[in-house]
Amino acid sequence: MPEFSPWHDNSPTYSPPNNGPAPSQRISEDPEFHSLRRAQRRFGIRATLLSVGGYLLYVLLSHSVPGLMNQRLLGHLTLGLTLGLGQFVVMGVTAWCYVRHMRARVDPLARGLGSRLHQHEAASLRASAPPAEAGQSVRPGAKEYRTW
Amino acid sequence: MVTLSEGIVDRFSLQLTLVLFLSVVVVTLFMALLTAPQRDEISEFYLGNRTMSPLRNGLAMCGDYLSAATLLGSTGLVALTGYDGLLYLGGTVVAWMMVLLLIAEPLRRAGRFTLGDTLALRLTRLQRPARLALAVCTLAIATLYLVAQLVGSMALLTQFTGEPSASTRTLCVIVIGTVVIVYAAIGGMPGATVIQIIKAVMLVAGVTVTAVMVLHRYDWNPGALLTAAADHSGTGTRFLEPGLRYGASTTSKVDFFSLQLAIVLGLAALPHVLMRLLAPRKIDVLRSSVVWAVGLVGLVCLGAGILGLGATAVVGRGTIASTDPKGDAAVLLLANALGGGILTALLSCLAFVTLLAVAAGLTLAAASSLAHDLYGEVIRKGRASETEELTVARLSAAVIGVLAMMLALVSWGANTATLAFLAFAIAASAILPTIVYTLFWRRFTGEGALLSLWGGLVCSVLLVLFSPVVSGAPGSFYPDADFAWFPLQNPGIVSIPAGFFLGWLGTVLSERQDAREDAAYEEFEVRMLVGAKE
Repeated sequence: MPEFSPWHDNSPTYSPPNNGPAPSQRISEDPEFHSLRRAQRRFGIRATLLSVGGYLLYVLLSHSVPGLMNQRLLGHLTLGLTLGLGQFVVMGVTAWCYVRHMRARVDPLARGLGSRLHQHEAASLRASAPPAEAGQSVRPGAKEYRTW
Repeated sequence: MVTLSEGIVDRFSLQLTLVLFLSVVVVTLFMALLTAPQRDEISEFYLGNRTMSPLRNGLAMCGDYLSAATLLGSTGLVALTGYDGLLYLGGTVVAWMMVLLLIAEPLRRAGRFTLGDTLALRLTRLQRPARLALAVCTLAIATLYLVAQLVGSMALLTQFTGEPSASTRTLCVIVIGTVVIVYAAIGGMPGATVIQIIKAVMLVAGVTVTAVMVLHRYDWNPGALLTAAADHSGTGTRFLEPGLRYGASTTSKVDFFSLQLAIVLGLAALPHVLMRLLAPRKIDVLRSSVVWAVGLVGLVCLGAGILGLGATAVVGRGTIASTDPKGDAAVLLLANALGGGILTALLSCLAFVTLLAVAAGLTLAAASSLAHDLYGEVIRKGRASETEELTVARLSAAVIGVLAMMLALVSWGANTATLAFLAFAIAASAILPTIVYTLFWRRFTGEGALLSLWGGLVCSVLLVLFSPVVSGAPGSFYPDADFAWFPLQNPGIVSIPAGFFLGWLGTVLSERQDAREDAAYEEFEVRMLVGAKE
């Protein structure tokens, strides 16, 4: 795990407004941040495609191939009705997987990065900047950083 | 007292309904006043109590999400059209998955009070025009949906009194509208939350108990329920097969798919639902709340399906269709057959409270968008004080309420489902593309946001204007005129891709991003994934 060592060297030597945005700049280049983004996005998009796309496909199939959907399985229970009930199951399973995935893969990364971000903010605040300005001086700082 | 000409319920349950409804209104009004924001703080007015437990939050979300249309309308559709009606309920459930999987957590992390705030964090240019466009879209959606709720309340009254006279209708709309305004303007989000939770508890309990009674009647054998429903539907096994409502032609099949698209993508982008997502302070509370809501929404929709099938099985499709051709009476007829006057009164009271709660949530969402985005940021350019903004929010809640009351009285007899479906279509084609691009597309620019918001709104409204909904068909607003060149009743299948395409087009055509925009997005992304310090 790469530490944010350059930070502590740099921060005292520059004026406070330049320090404000820098942690996010650094964090967005961190490999951990990339894996956090990947983990959250990939699962979200796949699961949405699976549940929402699957449902829309089911609606399309219901009206385009009624013969298949009307196959009796048990009494009056047709394949279409079974798939409809299956949607509820798919939904429950997806929600469960989502919670498990977020807990195992996403939350620890987000917590780690978040605490580093806040630690650094607190440090730079203590160093010099007045608290009220900490949240605002964002864009000029970002520009400054780019010109380094 | 109104005359009881052709109502489906007797005098006893009418009185009981009135008593129940009034007591719920009085209790919730008191609670709304007690919990109303005490200080002039906009965060309390917009977001309410931010430390509620996940279950309560989940109940409130479920309350915002499920309208009377689900309880009465979808159940009636199941009773009348069987399989096709069940697909509506499925769409309602699946739409909530969009919220859980894609929208809830990123939006909460990157959001403040309204969607406009999230957009403003992200865009470096054109923030104010984008807020203006968002406020207009929010207002359009909220007004349409609000009018649908108020017209629905009049339609519900019809079940009791037969065709209500003009003065009865006015009285009904004014009473409901005034209560809604009081909840929203005085109670703010805390007040709206109280009634959402009470409504959600009533809804879950009412639907579950009635569904259990239906299943009990058929000895807990779903097969027997299906057989009885098919037997009493007058259409035999076709009742349990797709196509009873939308199977006539290719056009109607495409129309149905278009509607499903609007439901699945639009319900998740309704402004009052989005606003509710911003309330919990902690991300893990938000996640548990949304998961609770998954369960509750699933339970209610499953129960509503059983109620619809039960209504056909117990009452018979002929009676339901002759009482109300749209099927809204199905639940009340079923309740009357199963539990007599008392159950009917309970469920009618539930329907009225559901109307009230959703209307309050909508009024609040529209009012906060007007006050925060339009007044605070566009008109006063961010210089308005909190007290000032709060006054504007309360005033706009009253104005929106009155506007919706007048529109509802004018459009009495309009098909509530059509109004609601148009609202979903606008949400799916204007707001959803903007949310998705804002959260997930690095290059998205202000031009893209403007084009997708205005384009999605105009596209869906125009398509409906030139569709059989407005002219050229027996059931349309102007049956005599015919300028309907768009064959579908639901614009979603065209307007949703159009909204996404316009957002892409606007972004691609705008100037290349400079370093400032990259930095703004990077900061936004960190905030969206890691979270900001509270």
